[in-house]
Amino acid sequence: MFEWLANPTYYTWILQGLTLTIEITLFGVFLGLILGTILAMGDIYGGKIVRGFIAVYVEFFRGSPLFVQLFIAVYTIPAILNIQISHYFLAFLVFGLNSAAYQKGYLKGSMQTVLDDQMAAGLSVGMSRIQTLRYVILPQAYRIVIPSWTNEFCSLTKSTSTVAFVGLFDLVSAGLSIRMRTFEIIPVWIVIGLIYLAWITGVSKIMDIVYERKKIPGIELDMQS
Amino acid sequence: MATFVMEAKNVYKTYTMKGDKKGEEKVVEAVKDVSLTIRKGDIKLIFGPSGSGKSTFLRCMAMLDIPDKGQIYLGDECLTKSGVDLNKARARIGFVFQHIYLFRHLTALGNVELALRQVLKLPKEQARKRALDALTEVKVCDCANKYPSQMSGGQAQRVGIARAIARNPDIILLDEPTSALDPELTGEVIDTLRDLAKEGTTMLIVSHEMPFAKEVAEEMIFYDEGRIIEVGPPSLFFNAPNTDRAKQFMTRIINRTTR
Repeated sequence: MFEWLANPTYYTWILQGLTLTIEITLFGVFLGLILGTILAMGDIYGGKIVRGFIAVYVEFFRGSPLFVQLFIAVYTIPAILNIQISHYFLAFLVFGLNSAAYQKGYLKGSMQTVLDDQMAAGLSVGMSRIQTLRYVILPQAYRIVIPSWTNEFCSLTKSTSTVAFVGLFDLVSAGLSIRMRTFEIIPVWIVIGLIYLAWITGVSKIMDIVYERKKIPGIELDMQS
Repeated sequence: MATFVMEAKNVYKTYTMKGDKKGEEKVVEAVKDVSLTIRKGDIKLIFGPSGSGKSTFLRCMAMLDIPDKGQIYLGDECLTKSGVDLNKARARIGFVFQHIYLFRHLTALGNVELALRQVLKLPKEQARKRALDALTEVKVCDCANKYPSQMSGGQAQRVGIARAIARNPDIILLDEPTSALDPELTGEVIDTLRDLAKEGTTMLIVSHEMPFAKEVAEEMIFYDEGRIIEVGPPSLFFNAPNTDRAKQFMTRIINRTTR
């Protein structure tokens, strides 16, 4: 059943697929964090037009399947711009944009729990709004958001399987290829599943440790309220 | 040369809040034509019924709330003109909040240090020294490495005072600094304020601590329904205020504190 595991070709495929899965996830979460922070600030401080734009953005990315977003990006953007763009790059981009839509929600929520009084305090000592955001609001908001961030990471990791639709070789693509050669259906998916499980569990544990390390007495209370 | 450290001229401020019924909005006229001057070394105390707009007025003085009408002067500078660098102005004003509002992710030391580093741009060592000096002055040096949630209310509020005085501001505005604390903790904060008073710190305080007011305030300001009703030395209010409203209020508050 599992003798194919000893074959170095399959072994390489799995490693190659895993690498892409990890790359897309990490890049997506990272771009999502930066963009999500900007969107959250825009949603809190922006005028009606900015907020409207953000609402449409979020609804589009949350309301449509990821593979549809991926298809649109891969098969229309290069055509419209009339240039060649690598599918890797577009996949990275879509995952980042998609994750930003979710992370905006988490970040806005955690910023709002600290915003009013901490902003007044920051202004009262002579800091600007931007300084207060940078040195007071965001350090607290990021700490509060870590657990939601872990969830986002887990769900994004599993969503990466959609890149197989646009011809990228991720962990699921590796599984499909091996299955096609070996005709071992269940064992292949068990192995692929276990790899996902190990990676996600490992990172979740690391995030828990980071959360505990970064925890400041009094800040975690906000999570429960 | 400015005669006044701070001056408020005919300040108005209204805000809307949610009413009792769903979707209903109430307009609160918190500050109606209020004028006030403060000279260097003055200690003035604003008191009056809760919800009368005292805190809003104090926030207007610090430009944490922007007045609808009227002017606020810090020395010669008019803060209500457009184009004024309010951050720079606020750096010269200390503000102590009723609900303390320490930066929750920073230790006591971090709370005091932050503005010294980011606003005054002091080098690290110097900022640390000045922050420790400020904490020592309000006698919470032993809390330097504690986070706000690890301190008592009285300690936290003294850190709040240290944060306000560390920049050597021209004036300190205190918004009911003791009213959110347990009664047994108000004493230590009052002691700190008394020390500041002795050093000649210019202060505008919203408070109902009457014995303290009697002891340190040069002038008391009775504030009700968005207006200054009566102004005078503590002796006036403790003996015979001129207005009926101040009389009623003093009777109630003195009965409460002596009971």
